[in-house]
Amino acid sequence: MNKKYYPLAIGALALIVLPFALQALGLTLTSSTDVVIFAIAAMGLNLLVGYTGLTSFGHGAWFGLGAYAAALSQKYWFPGQFVLPFLFSLLFIAALASVVGFLILRRRGVYFSLLTLALSALTFAIAFRWTAFTGGESGLGGIVRPVIGPFNLDDPATYLAVVSVIGFIVLFLLLRVTRSPFGHVIVAIRENEQRATFQGYDTHKYKLAVFVLSATVTGLAGALLVFHHRIASAEPTSVAFSGELLAIVVIGGMRSFLGPALGALFYILAREMLSMRTENWLFWFGLAFVGFILFSPNGLVGIWARLQRRWRPVAEDIAAMSKRRIYEGLPLPAFLRPPAQTGMVLEVEKINKHFGGIRAVSDSRLTLHAGQIHALIGPNGAGKTTTFNLISGMFAPDSGTVRLNGREIQGLPPHRICRQGLARSFQITNLFRGLPIYENLRLSLQAQHPGSFNVWRDIDSYPQIHAETAELMKFLGLEGIEDTEGGELSYGGQRLVDLGIALGSKPQVLLMDEPLAGLAAAERERVSHLVKTIASNIPVLIVEHDIDRVLGFSQRVTVMNEGSVLMAGTPEEARADQRVQEVYTGSGTPPVTGRMAGEAKTRPQLLRFEGVNAFYGKSHILNDATLEVREGEIVALLGRNGAGKSTLLKALTGLLKPASGKIEFAGLDIAGMQAPDIARLGIGYVPQGRGLFAGMTVAENLALGRLARPTDGSQGVVWDEAQILKFFPRLKERMQTPADYLSGGEQQMVAVARALSGNVRLLLLDEPFEGLAPAVVQELFTLFDQLRSQVSILIVEHNLDLVLALADRVFALERGAVFHEGPAEPLLTDLSYRKQILWL
Amino acid sequence: MEIVFLLEQVINGLLLGGYYLLIALGLSLIFSLGGVVNLAHGAFYALGAYLSVEVTKRLGFGGALVVAPVMVGVVGMLFERFLLRRFYSADPILSLLLTFGLGMVGEQAIRMIWGASPLQASIPAIFKGQVIVGDFLYSKYRLLMLGVVFLVLTGIWLLLNKTSFGRVVRAGVQKPDMVAVLGIRLQPYMTTIVVLGVGLAALAGVLFAPISGVHPAMGTEIMTAAFVVVVIGGLGSFWGVVLAALLVGVVRGITIHFYAPAGEASMYLLMLGVLLFRPRGLLGERIERFE
Repeated sequence: MNKKYYPLAIGALALIVLPFALQALGLTLTSSTDVVIFAIAAMGLNLLVGYTGLTSFGHGAWFGLGAYAAALSQKYWFPGQFVLPFLFSLLFIAALASVVGFLILRRRGVYFSLLTLALSALTFAIAFRWTAFTGGESGLGGIVRPVIGPFNLDDPATYLAVVSVIGFIVLFLLLRVTRSPFGHVIVAIRENEQRATFQGYDTHKYKLAVFVLSATVTGLAGALLVFHHRIASAEPTSVAFSGELLAIVVIGGMRSFLGPALGALFYILAREMLSMRTENWLFWFGLAFVGFILFSPNGLVGIWARLQRRWRPVAEDIAAMSKRRIYEGLPLPAFLRPPAQTGMVLEVEKINKHFGGIRAVSDSRLTLHAGQIHALIGPNGAGKTTTFNLISGMFAPDSGTVRLNGREIQGLPPHRICRQGLARSFQITNLFRGLPIYENLRLSLQAQHPGSFNVWRDIDSYPQIHAETAELMKFLGLEGIEDTEGGELSYGGQRLVDLGIALGSKPQVLLMDEPLAGLAAAERERVSHLVKTIASNIPVLIVEHDIDRVLGFSQRVTVMNEGSVLMAGTPEEARADQRVQEVYTGSGTPPVTGRMAGEAKTRPQLLRFEGVNAFYGKSHILNDATLEVREGEIVALLGRNGAGKSTLLKALTGLLKPASGKIEFAGLDIAGMQAPDIARLGIGYVPQGRGLFAGMTVAENLALGRLARPTDGSQGVVWDEAQILKFFPRLKERMQTPADYLSGGEQQMVAVARALSGNVRLLLLDEPFEGLAPAVVQELFTLFDQLRSQVSILIVEHNLDLVLALADRVFALERGAVFHEGPAEPLLTDLSYRKQILWL
Repeated sequence: MEIVFLLEQVINGLLLGGYYLLIALGLSLIFSLGGVVNLAHGAFYALGAYLSVEVTKRLGFGGALVVAPVMVGVVGMLFERFLLRRFYSADPILSLLLTFGLGMVGEQAIRMIWGASPLQASIPAIFKGQVIVGDFLYSKYRLLMLGVVFLVLTGIWLLLNKTSFGRVVRAGVQKPDMVAVLGIRLQPYMTTIVVLGVGLAALAGVLFAPISGVHPAMGTEIMTAAFVVVVIGGLGSFWGVVLAALLVGVVRGITIHFYAPAGEASMYLLMLGVLLFRPRGLLGERIERFE
């Protein structure tokens, strides 16, 4: 038999064995019927909790309402009947769930859970109080199980058979749904809803449909229960019962298809067995629930899987990427080639976007023509990614237009923009981490297929989608590792999958956000060939920091700086443009400096950072990074976006635990120490964006800087209020102002003053001059220059003129490793040397 | 006459709101700093009420008012130390499930210890009787409750806004990492907040025991109401919670005046209404990890 129908076989077998097994344990047929009914309810709930990732604390409401709908419709409309009240109940729940789902699915995560909780409480309040209609506390009795043809439903065995058959039908239906394209999309929503919208899925539609289906299946179980016990009561609508349903799902195993049914068996067995011995069986059941959450969140099924692994260990697959087969020089698969286009395919005109008071993008414009690779370049914070976000629908622009093939698309949601033929990759990889890479790509291709919302057809009956996915895998060089989960891949592998997801949308225009970032040299070469192959068929807009490479293969360049377009033209024009050079490598005019060049070598070492590796998840950010800082010197840390500069500072402060390596500070190994302890040893940190506490006054911010660190000045430097005001006199009248009301320059002053409010021997500065007016920059520059006699400084700054003038020595990072180390002076004065070392 | 009667309902509603406030404030505090929606909060409230009955027998009402919340606070400390702490940085849904399970266990434990039937708690003799203010007649005990709620509210506000403890807490809510790099360990603050939060719930239990009676399901009942308050006010907002508690109390009071059985339903409908127009509650801010 086909493996995919195993759950059906197991289910059928279980339904047959169940009554005999329970009778052997001394339980009645009633208990067996209860098990089947609760199994149906829990599987309905699991569709939402386990598959879609929406945790409902209120499914008892649907269960109870299903029961009432069946009971009341039999009482008033269909006396003595079974089928009609049952069907009415299904329709009623489906209709009500559509309305309720539409309202509460507007919220996600914790808010969604709390809303479902309130829904259950509301239903209970009504059911319990509306005595005239629902029978209130004493319940609604008088329900009959009729004789239908040869079947007397009143007989417990016959009713069990009916319930079992219905249960089997539900099982079959749920299996079809979970194996359908629709069923795969809801799992994608659980894994990464945002990415699913960028693949062209209208996730709201899917969530509403699955909510209605889930509620209806649970309501169906409620209707069966009301005929079973011949009484409807308010109890099932209570929050407590909703919790029990959820406990059934968790205990059984929420990531598995049949797990919840197992949980239902556990629940009924616990109830029957324990209640013989104690009145408070729920206490023990609750303890079991808590135990599962603490020790096995995947329930009984999870325990089973763990045991199996102990008996038959799965071979560890560390070097997943090495198993793949790479074919060089493959052409772009035919199904990905868009119909021939001419002229302007993408036109961005005067778009603007503000975040709070910050102008992220102002009056930006660019045009992309058919057959072109268009590079969008510029330094950190120039607004490139924001521009991408505005074009692709992540945010709506405040003003301006975006035209795709002549049609305006600005302000449309991402899924509609994707459907119109625009796809994008992400700078920070954005995949379905828990799904196999094959599935990651397949979802994109499925979205382009007319059957993407099909809830019935099996996923395997779409040979075209599978063939296309296989071809795309091969094209990308991912063949052979189809089953590896997205999150298991190396960073470079993830970037490739991210690109593949975008490509799978069969775009007419493709936006690539740094496809080469973080790739190893050989891979970089291969991927840039891929990009060229893609771009010879699909117009591409590309953001990339590897300027040499991107200028090498693009036809047009738009250079952005500080949110607006600096220039647009050919790569040659961009290279020759004086303004572009200044943006990247500075003008070479140094401000005054008080540095004591050459003298630093003789000073004692303060910090030694040796062979440090650090990861964000699976992404290898720091790669054997090594650097040192001596007493009383300023060290600059240079490198492109994403080279690992900020991560290095975070590893130093203890906010990110290094995976390996040594960090020696003032003779102590601080790698692995907690951030507060490291801070107390004398490392002060001014993060990018300043990290002030909004809504709290300047004085309060400063007080927090003094609270826990030693302030005796025994080591390094410490500023008291008098000193703060000496250096930054204008903070005096700002002391009682909330920090977020200050100007950028004043905020930076507060951040520096706060960092120096405890004993500091090493000051870490992350982009301290970012977005500041020239006068303030000068003021801070002078301050840091003076500070060097009292404290060592490690500074990350993208303005090379400034930072090279300030620093004694320089370390340059690329892909998490230091590739250049030396004095700052020659880089400051010799521009061609600077270009040679630091690109362009 | 009708107006006066309505006004009285409004004032009763405010009292009711004040009582929700004690629960909702603790809930909101724990949520703001730890990111955990504590669904076991109601169990601490019920525990407070049961302990007050026990302590009152030995030390009198005054003793219970102090001792019961302290005892519950100790339980809260263990709860934080051994369970909650593992879940601060986990998927918020897991902590919802965990605290929900604990609430269930707590309620059942109460049934096991004290039985399923309600216990009697009586208003202490000195607070029996009424005072007359103008046209209104008030029970002394309710005025006492109002006074205590007011004191607690003021105390919490001062603690959060005028002490360095409060500064750390407020800073920690926003940027826990930044607090850490200033050399401050957030952990003891978190423990304190949990102890304070569940202590407040217990205090509410002690105060309300003589009015609502003491029964095992009292925790679950108050829990959903407290959630409505927190959700209407906005998760993590001090004044939002205060405003919402009073609003819910008043709406419920007025509804009960017109149509008593709809009292409970009214607050859920109020919540739905608020959420349709202000999805994050009246004064709530967007917090990414809970979306």
